[in-house]
Amino acid sequence: MAAAGSVKAALQVAEVLESIVSKCLGPEGRQVLCTKPTGEVLVSRDGGRLLEALHLEHPIARMVVACVSSHLNKTGDGAKTFIIYFCHLLRGLHAVTDKEKDSLISENIQTHGRHWKNCCQWKFISQALLTFQTQILDSFIAQCLSKHFLSIFSSSTKERTLCRSSLELLSEAYFCGRVAKNNHKFISQLLCDYLFKCVTYKSEIEEVFELLDDCFVELNIGVAGLPVSDSRIIAGLVLQRDFSVYCPADGDIQTVIVTETIQPLFSASASEFVFNSEAQFQASQFWIMERTKAIMKSLQNQNIKLLLSSVKQPDLVIYYAKLGGISVVECLSSEEVSLIERIVGLSPFVLPQICSQHDICNTTLVKFCKPLILKSKRYVHLELISPCLFLPHCIVLCGPVQGLVEQHKDALHGAFKMLRQLFKDLDLSYMAQANNQNYTSTPPIYKNNRENHLLKEIGNDSIQRPYQGTVVKNKDELATFQKHLVVYSHLEIPNVELETYSPCSTPKLTSADTYQTDDIMTYLSQNKARKIDDHEPFIESKVIANSTTENTKLEMSDENVQVTKDVGRRNVLPVRCKSLESYRSSSIPAGCVLPVGGNFELLLHYYLLNYAKKCQQSEETAVSMIIANALLGIPKVLHMNKKGNDSFPRIYVRMLHALQTSQPMVSTHTGLESVAGKYQLLTSVLQCLAKILTIDHVISIKRQPQRVYDQDSEDDL
Amino acid sequence: MARLEAKKPSVCENEPLTSGRVRSMLSVLKRIVTSCYGPSGRLKQLHNSVGGHVCTTSQSSALLRSLLVTHPILKILTASMQNHVSCVSDCGLFMAILCCNLIENVQEIDLTPTTVIELNKLLLSLCTNYLKSEVCGCRIPVDFSSTQILLCLVRSILTSKPACMLTRKEVDHISALVLRAFLLTIPEKAKDYVILGKTIIVPLKDQRVMDSTVLPGMLIEMSEVQLMRMLPMKKSSALKVALFCVSLSGDFSDTGEGTLVVSYGVDLESAVLDQLLNLGWQLVRDQIDIVMCQKVIHPSLKQFLSTHRVIAIDRVGVALMEPLSKMTGTQPIGSLSSISPSSYGSVKDLCTAKFGSKRFFHLIPHEVTVSSLLLCNRSDTTWDELKLTCQTALHVLQLTIKEPFVFLGGGCTETHLAAYIRHKTLNEPGSILKGNECTQTALRLIAEAFCSALESLAGSLEHDGGEILTDMKYGHFWSVQSDCPPLVNWPDLLSRCGCGLHSSQEELSWSFLRSTRHPFVPQNCLPHEAATSANNLTLDCFTAKLSGLQVAVETANLILDLAYVIEDKN
Repeated sequence: MAAAGSVKAALQVAEVLESIVSKCLGPEGRQVLCTKPTGEVLVSRDGGRLLEALHLEHPIARMVVACVSSHLNKTGDGAKTFIIYFCHLLRGLHAVTDKEKDSLISENIQTHGRHWKNCCQWKFISQALLTFQTQILDSFIAQCLSKHFLSIFSSSTKERTLCRSSLELLSEAYFCGRVAKNNHKFISQLLCDYLFKCVTYKSEIEEVFELLDDCFVELNIGVAGLPVSDSRIIAGLVLQRDFSVYCPADGDIQTVIVTETIQPLFSASASEFVFNSEAQFQASQFWIMERTKAIMKSLQNQNIKLLLSSVKQPDLVIYYAKLGGISVVECLSSEEVSLIERIVGLSPFVLPQICSQHDICNTTLVKFCKPLILKSKRYVHLELISPCLFLPHCIVLCGPVQGLVEQHKDALHGAFKMLRQLFKDLDLSYMAQANNQNYTSTPPIYKNNRENHLLKEIGNDSIQRPYQGTVVKNKDELATFQKHLVVYSHLEIPNVELETYSPCSTPKLTSADTYQTDDIMTYLSQNKARKIDDHEPFIESKVIANSTTENTKLEMSDENVQVTKDVGRRNVLPVRCKSLESYRSSSIPAGCVLPVGGNFELLLHYYLLNYAKKCQQSEETAVSMIIANALLGIPKVLHMNKKGNDSFPRIYVRMLHALQTSQPMVSTHTGLESVAGKYQLLTSVLQCLAKILTIDHVISIKRQPQRVYDQDSEDDL
Repeated sequence: MARLEAKKPSVCENEPLTSGRVRSMLSVLKRIVTSCYGPSGRLKQLHNSVGGHVCTTSQSSALLRSLLVTHPILKILTASMQNHVSCVSDCGLFMAILCCNLIENVQEIDLTPTTVIELNKLLLSLCTNYLKSEVCGCRIPVDFSSTQILLCLVRSILTSKPACMLTRKEVDHISALVLRAFLLTIPEKAKDYVILGKTIIVPLKDQRVMDSTVLPGMLIEMSEVQLMRMLPMKKSSALKVALFCVSLSGDFSDTGEGTLVVSYGVDLESAVLDQLLNLGWQLVRDQIDIVMCQKVIHPSLKQFLSTHRVIAIDRVGVALMEPLSKMTGTQPIGSLSSISPSSYGSVKDLCTAKFGSKRFFHLIPHEVTVSSLLLCNRSDTTWDELKLTCQTALHVLQLTIKEPFVFLGGGCTETHLAAYIRHKTLNEPGSILKGNECTQTALRLIAEAFCSALESLAGSLEHDGGEILTDMKYGHFWSVQSDCPPLVNWPDLLSRCGCGLHSSQEELSWSFLRSTRHPFVPQNCLPHEAATSANNLTLDCFTAKLSGLQVAVETANLILDLAYVIEDKN
C-alpha cells in the first residue's frame, strides 16, 4: 500500500504547488514577492525561483523541485508548466487506480487498472512511461506534429535568417509568462532591439546566443530607482568599475589586458628576501621603480592607451600610467576579462622577463573608452572593435526596486537560454534508447508491433528528407555480406572512417545484433543532425550478391562517437537504393515554433488519442490516454478566465474539427513558442514522474545520506 | 567544520493585499509619510531607547534610513522610495504618498488586478505625455538669464523641510548661498560638453545660520601645530603644488607574498628616512610651495619641509583628492623619487581663514570650479537636516540644468494634472483605450481613483485642518482656514494659489477639492509673463517630480500585481 500511497502523497504535493504556480502562469499571471534570509526582496514570476524560495520540506516536493531546476538549467523555461503537467499526470494515474476501486468506469481502463494492481508494480508503470517517452513520443513529434511546425527563420531564403517579426512574437510570448503584464511588451522590444544590434549578420547566430547566455551577467547593468521605461541599450561594453586613471584619447585606442601587478614585488610567495644592508634595500627599491618605469615606458611607446587589469595595481603604476597618458581600469572580474578575450580574441599581456623593445603582440583596438555615469555611479564604457559576429552592446535595466530589476535580468537571461536551445537542432535519439535495459523488460513482440505501426505512419508522413548524404557504399562486388564499422565524431562531416571489412561468409548474426540491424541509420552532415531510419527488415536469407546497400548504425550515446555498422547488401544500381528506403526525420530542426496558447499540447493530445485507439497494447493505450489528458491541463489553465468563443471547450472542439478536416488551425494567440522547449519539458516531466513512481517508501534519517548514484536517473536523454 | 542546519520552510501568504494586517500596515506607513509632507509637515523624532543619536526630521531619506520595516510589501515600497531619492534626491515623500494613495483607492474597486494595472499604466503615459508636452499648463521653462526661478526653486526646497528650523530671513540667506555655490561650480570656459565642478559642504556647528558663507576654492581644516608653524607667505605669484597619493610616512607596503628577512644591524628605517629626505630635497629644488598628501607625512619630512618654507598638509583624505587634483591641475604622485615636473600644479593663493573656532587653509584656484559651502547651525540634528537639504538643492539644480523646466509647486501641479486627466478620460475615452480590451466604465473608475490619489496628495500639504479648494479655470490649489464662515466671498478669503502664480482677484470660481465637480479643461496660464511678474513662486524639480510620478505608479502596479508573498524565515 505504500506504493499507492506514494502517488497519493505526490498528488497532494503537486496540487499544492499547482495552486501556487497556476496563478502566475500565462499572460494573465501575477507576481510573487519573495524575501531572502538576508532581507532582500525579490519580485518574480519565474516558477523555478518560486519553488526554490518555498524551501519545501516534503521529500517528494524536494525531489520535484530538484527535477524542475535541472530542467531549467537545461532550457531556461517551463517550470510552471512542468508542475501543471506533473500534477495532471498524477491525477490521471490516481484516477485510474481509484476508479478501479469504485468499479464504475469503462471496462477498458478498468482492466488496465486491475492489471496494474495485479502487477502491484508502480515500477512497471514507471517503465511504461519511460518507454513511452523514449520510444513513442519522439516519433510522434517527428511524424505527426512536424507538419504543423512553423519556422522562426525567414522563409524567403534557404539560409537561417532571423526574422524580426517572428522573433518579436516569440519573445513577447516568452516574457508574457516571465515579467509583469505592464512591462512585457517593453522588455520584449528591448530584447529584439538588443539582438538585432548585437548580431552583425542575421544568419549563423547560434554562437551569439551561446555567448549571450554565458556572459549575460557582464552585458547588463541594473539601476534601481528609475522608472522601467528608462531602460535602454548602449553600444559597447560597460565594465562595472571606474577608471583609476582616465586620460581622454581620440581615435582608436590600443589596449592591453594584464592579470598581474606590473610593479615587481620584493618577494614572490614561498621565497625569502634577505636584506643585508641599507644600500641593498635602496638599490632594490630603485630597481623596482626603474623596472616599473621601463615597462610603462614601453607600453607608452607601443602607443597603448588603455590598460585593463584584473588586479589592483600599485600607486607607482597608476602614477606612471597617468604620466604616460594611459587610462587604467583595475580589479576587473575574471568573467569580464574572459568576455573581452572572447569577443576580441585577445589574450592577457605577459610581462616580459627582460625589458626589451619588442612589440607587444597582445593588443587590441578599442573605438572609444569613456566614463559613463548612471545614478551617480561611474562605469567604464568601451566600444570594442569586434572581429567576430557579435557586436557587444549593453542593456541598462531600470526599475523602481532592485527586485524588479533582477526579475527583468533573469527573464532576459532565460530568454537567451531559450533562444540558444531553439537555434540548435534537437536529436530525437529514440532508437538508441530502445537498446537499454527497458528493452529486456518489454517483450520483443511489443517492439515489432510498434515498428510496424510506425511504418504505416511513415507512409502518410509529409516530411521525407531526400537522402543527400554519403552512404558508405561497398565497392567490393564479390563480397556477399559486409559489415562496416564507421566511427566518426559527432557534428562533423564523417571524416574518420574506421572501416573493418569482415566478410561474413556464414550469414550468422548473434541475437544481440538482430535488433540492431533493423534499427537506425544516422546521417550527420555539417551541423544538421538527422537520423534516417531504415525499415527494411533484415532477412538473413536475402543476403546475396547484387543487393542494395543498407546501413544500420548502432549509437553509443554516452560519448560523442558513433559507431556505425553498415550491413550491406548490394545492388547493381546503387541509385535505386533511394527508392527502396524510406526515411524519417528524427530531429526537431533548429528554429521550430508553434503558436502559443496550448497548441502544442492540443496537437499532441489529438495524435496521442488517435494512437491510443489504434494501439493493441493495453499499457500503451493507458499511458497514452493519461498523457493525452494531462496535456490538456495547460490550455485549460490558460483559458480559465476566458468566456465565450475563447473558452476552453470551444477552442478544443474547434481544434479537433480543424485537425479532422485537415484545415489550418486558427490560434487565438499571436505569440510563438519553441517546440524543442516544449518537447524537452514533456520528457523531463515524464522522467521525473517515472522517478517518483519507483519510490515506495520514504524513510527519514537523521544524518546526511551518502552520495550514491540513483539507479533510476541513468536515463540520459 | 561548518554546522549544517536544516532550512526552515518559508511562509507563503496568499493575496496579501486583501489581508487586514497588510492594509493596516500600509495605512500606518501612509500616515507617517503624509504627516511629514510639505512646509507645514510635522516632524518625526527618531531615536533608540538606549540613548543613541536622536534625529529630528521630516525628510524621506533621513526618515527611511532609520525606519525598519518588516513586511515585504512595505519593504518594496520603502526600497522604491529610497532608490528614487538616491537617484534624484527630491520628491521622495511625494512618491511614497502617491503610491499609498493609489493602492488604497484601487482596493475599493471591484476590478481584476490586471485591468487595474493596465489602466494605471495608460493613465501614467497620459500624464507623462502631457507633462512633457509643450502645452503643459503646470511647468515653466527655466530662464537662465536671471536667477529668479532658480532662487525660487531652492527656496521652495528649503521651506519644504521644516526640520531645518529656518526663519524666513535665514531661508533667503541660505538659498542665495546654495545658488551661489552651485554657480561657482560651472566652468567659465564652456566646451561642447560641460563638466560641473563640486561643492564641498564644510560643517561649522555652534554658529548662527546667518554666519554661513560660500567661498570659491577649497577649505582644508588646519591643526593648531600647523598654525604655529605657519609663516607669512612671501610669494605674490602663483604657488606651486605637489599632491601625493602615496603615503609619505615611510611605511612599507606591498612586499609580496614571500617573507622578508632583515639581517642584524640593518636599519631599514633610516634607509627609508633617507629616501624621504631625498624626496624633500627634490621638492625644494623644484621650488614647491605646498605639499599635500592624501595619507600621512612623516614628522621628520614635515619638519624638513617647514624649515624650507614649504607648507605641508597631510591627511587630506580620498574624498578631497579628486577635486584637489582637478582644481590645482596636479597629478596625484605615486612615487617617492624621480617625480616628473609635469605632475605639479598650482594655486593662485593660499590664505588662512578663521570661522568660529576653526582655522582653515583656503586654497584659491585660478579657475573656480570648486566651491566650499560653510554651513552653520546651532544644533547637530538641525545641521544634519540642513546639510541634507542643501545637498538636495544642489542636486536639484544640477538636474534642472539638464532639463531646463520646473513644475509649479504647492500642490498646483497635482490638482491641475487631476483636472486634465478627468477631462481627458471623460471626453476622449476611445482614443485612450485604443488597442486595449478594457471597458470605458473601468477606465472611468480607475481614472477617478487615480485623480483622487493625486488630489489627496495635494491635500496632504494641509495639516492644520484647513479646507482645500480648486479653481475652475486653471485647476490650481487653494487652501483656506478651517474656521471660515459658510457663505463667504472667496476672493477676500483666499489670497494666492499654492504655487503663487495666481491671485484670488482674477475672477475665478472655486469649488471644494473633495466635492464632485464638472470636469473642465484646465487652462494654460501664460507662464512667461506670470513667472517674471511673480517673484515668490513655489516650484518643484521637473526631473525629480516626473520620475517620482512614474516610480510611484510603477511601484503601486507592482504591489497590486502580487498574488503571493513568500517569506524566507531562515
